[in-house]
Amino acid sequence: MKKSRLVIGATCAAMVGALALTACSGEDGGGDGQITFMFRGGPDEKAAYQAAIDRFTEETGVGVEVIVTDADQYATKLQAAVAGNNVPDVFYIEQANLQSYVASGVLMDITDQVDELGVDLDNIWQYGVDSYRFDGELQGTPEGRLYGLPKDVGPFAFGYNKTMFEAAGIPLPDPDVPLTWEQYVDICTRLTQDTDGDGAIDQWGTGPNVTWNLQSLVWSNGGDFVNEDRTQVTVDTPEFAEALQEFADLTTVDGVTPSAGDAATLDTYQRWMAGEIGFFPVGPWDVSVYNELDFDYDLIPWPTLGDGGAGAWIGSLGIGVSGTTDLPDAAVELVTYLSADTEAQQTLVDANIQVPNLIDMAEEWAAAPDAQPANRKEFLDIVQDYGRAMPAAYTYGAAWYDELWTNIQPVLDGEQTAADYLAEVQPRMQALLDESIVNAEQAFAGS
Amino acid sequence: MSRSAASEAALPAASGAHPPDTCPLPRTARQRRALHRTEHRWALLFVAPPVLGYLLFTLYPVLFAGYASMTSWNGLGPMRFTGLDNYTRLLGDEYFHQSLFNTAFYMIGIPIGLALALLLAIALDRRIPGRTAFRTIYYVPVISSLAAIAIVWQFAYNGDFGLVNQVLAWFGVDGPNWLQDTTTVKPAIILMMVWKGLGYSMLLYLAAIQSVPASLHEAAALDGAGWWQRLRNITLPMVRPVTFFLVVTNVIGGAQLFTEINIMTPTGGPEFSSASVVWYIWRQAFRYQQMGYATAMAIVLGVLVLIITLIQFRLNRRNSFSID
Repeated sequence: MKKSRLVIGATCAAMVGALALTACSGEDGGGDGQITFMFRGGPDEKAAYQAAIDRFTEETGVGVEVIVTDADQYATKLQAAVAGNNVPDVFYIEQANLQSYVASGVLMDITDQVDELGVDLDNIWQYGVDSYRFDGELQGTPEGRLYGLPKDVGPFAFGYNKTMFEAAGIPLPDPDVPLTWEQYVDICTRLTQDTDGDGAIDQWGTGPNVTWNLQSLVWSNGGDFVNEDRTQVTVDTPEFAEALQEFADLTTVDGVTPSAGDAATLDTYQRWMAGEIGFFPVGPWDVSVYNELDFDYDLIPWPTLGDGGAGAWIGSLGIGVSGTTDLPDAAVELVTYLSADTEAQQTLVDANIQVPNLIDMAEEWAAAPDAQPANRKEFLDIVQDYGRAMPAAYTYGAAWYDELWTNIQPVLDGEQTAADYLAEVQPRMQALLDESIVNAEQAFAGS
Repeated sequence: MSRSAASEAALPAASGAHPPDTCPLPRTARQRRALHRTEHRWALLFVAPPVLGYLLFTLYPVLFAGYASMTSWNGLGPMRFTGLDNYTRLLGDEYFHQSLFNTAFYMIGIPIGLALALLLAIALDRRIPGRTAFRTIYYVPVISSLAAIAIVWQFAYNGDFGLVNQVLAWFGVDGPNWLQDTTTVKPAIILMMVWKGLGYSMLLYLAAIQSVPASLHEAAALDGAGWWQRLRNITLPMVRPVTFFLVVTNVIGGAQLFTEINIMTPTGGPEFSSASVVWYIWRQAFRYQQMGYATAMAIVLGVLVLIITLIQFRLNRRNSFSID
């Protein structure tokens, strides 16, 4: 009796102790010559980074604890870690979060350390490096201090189904000269047909998704989402309206995409992979999957609506260092390994999931005789020449940008004109952008 | 406060469990006081873990959230006290109103689901061949991963080649693009939720039905009551506690709807027509880093759920009865 009570009592005491411990253990375990690295990604990334990390540990003697999360849980977990004062020493950052992390002291200024380590920044895509520069006013400018290095750059290119073109007797598009909008719609119309004669259309010219594909059309028409210093929402310009209208007309007037509304679901992606769609966007992360498809495809510049030249966006993810790390030098060095280590980059490139961060390696990769898709140099052209950051990448938060898409469906369904909708949504977007500017000022004033 | 409440709660149990033969001698008052003190100490130790857990993991976060909801806070940096600003902003936030309406709309699925579950339970209560198989089939969705289910249903609802529209096409019906149409997206999600929750409710109903004393049914049958009358006057009242339990837990669960929405309509649906409150909170907190504002919404949601639950308890008490 007594004994069992003693046991239970001891258990209770242990539980109390454990509770107290969990509640108070806010400090990270980085004080013992070990740093933590938190990221998201698939098995390929993990394998590539593990190799780089092993070499890093061998050369510096600093151990690395790796924390991997699901892609959709990463932001939540990182924020929880920040709130719990338990920030990993090295972690992925999104372009759009950089400023708030800098303002809160979560990210460390790594300009000097990177300089001392002698990293050849000129051999890393300028867009990728500048994405993580911030001068206190603007992000993405070459003068700003450096708060991270790119994990990757993600140029969103345009592609076409070569096999389908050949079967339809349509000459293959020039990989160096963008199609005009008229040429593009004309080819789409010719591709859209009933191939098996059952009365239902089973092959379409294209099948774009407004959230991811409108940008290039707007930019090629000389329009944009915000002005130069990112204070004014400019979606209510005629150039922007024309682009959105043409986009919607592809479905409602030209009829060259699968039925209305489907563009926002997964199915045009599925149809492209089933070989039923002529033109479709291709990101570097798609290549490993698309290379296994039953048809040949290749890359071309995005079609142009006006005379603004081809437009395309480049995504990017960065790797930053915690402002409260105990081992800042080791942490920065790890970042350079992850971003610019030749072997790690090679592993990622071999897995066909990203464009190399190192320019010389990328050029070699693009020129390889067995390149698949053959014109994968297009990816590099986007990064180097005509690509731009996503509209909300350099603003303080993306609420203003998301507002554009929330009520856009009636335009895509042809129930509202693009110009009407844009005139209506611009003030709401502007209000949100104004608010984010105020938030940014407050955040920096408080830091 | 926790000290006295704790010892009161624990003492009767402790002394009751104490066998009389361990202290055969009559005790003096002093001895008894000493014993009480020891017992008190033990009791405190026993109740400490749950009380401490409550303080740390419930009370502290609630108080913290209460304060955070009155600040402008991005979840990273320092908080700036702004009083009731977040709450006044809520009043004018159309997306918040829309998400509240959507969440309330999803609750339509609760009575539908419970009615179906009860019917199924009654059907599977009889000795029909393969009833174990049926019970299992209906329970499979309950133990399946919600994320996986949401993805499968997203495919099923695809307007172009989805399973749902293919079946409708057999009957000559040209189905809508379920998740992209403002009028069909909520019913589509309700249908999925009902399907997902059916097995759980059915199981509880089945247990409740089987615990209804057979004598009641026999007596009613002798009095000439038919199937419908016995269902209405015996089965339904006897499974009332289960119904009450299911309604309360379903309403609380429904108010926290998130995963289905986030996977099936990652942007909150066309014209925000599928966004639930928790989805909107999550988006404000983790995409827009408006942690203070999101917390204010969470507090409002919590208070609403509390009020609704209190009303349910009140209604239940008024209608309850005993068969003793």
